[in-house]
Amino acid sequence: MNLFSMLDISGSALKAERERAEVVASNLANAETTHSAEGGPYQRREVVFAAKALPEQGFAHALAAASDVVVRGVRVERVMTDPTPPLRRYEPSHQDADAEGYVGYPAINPIEEMVDLMGAARAYQLNVAAVQSTKAMILQSLQIVS
Amino acid sequence: MSNTIQGLPPLDPGRFQRAVEQPSGNRSEFLDTLQKTLDQAQEVESDASGKVTDLITGKGQDVHSAMIAVEKADISFQLILQVRNKIVKAYQDISGLQF
Repeated sequence: MNLFSMLDISGSALKAERERAEVVASNLANAETTHSAEGGPYQRREVVFAAKALPEQGFAHALAAASDVVVRGVRVERVMTDPTPPLRRYEPSHQDADAEGYVGYPAINPIEEMVDLMGAARAYQLNVAAVQSTKAMILQSLQIVS
Repeated sequence: MSNTIQGLPPLDPGRFQRAVEQPSGNRSEFLDTLQKTLDQAQEVESDASGKVTDLITGKGQDVHSAMIAVEKADISFQLILQVRNKIVKAYQDISGLQF
């Protein structure tokens, strides 16, 4: 636990929120995508956050992971795909239409995605505020000597 | 046109050590600690410099990690500055002694 571990924790949260916003942006961009590399329409992605011990490697990591009283940063553990079946629209002239003339569109609700994006942006803002407070606290402690 | 801006060369720590070395030849613990802190501050500063360079040359992707590195460097520098102020003040106090 050194002077900068608070900054590292907030930094990990900033990274995680940025990744979350990236995933939301990908969902919004692909809201109408009818084919993807894995076949079928684009599937909505969602991030799963997990607490992680800091620092990320080495002896200090093993020690921190084994101890009970440990502060943890956050990381994106995985990006899961939403199993909701695609929406079917009757568009027989579309190149991705099936034998019955239906095209599968991703089950993405842009409003939900926007709310998620706002959540990510607010959480980012909040962690930036935490970084600023940490810096102010450290600088205040330096003022003790002067 | 294509002149690159060179970073400042690192401080030569030996220059300062020689000046304050104790006559007995034993280095004081305080001096070691000071040296370690200086080294650490320099490490943090070069990390910040590297991250900012990566960011502006398009190699880095996290703006926040560069900013946090800069903040860390700033805090380290402030710490060193306070220690230096304290040492200079102590020196001035002693040199101002009158009998």
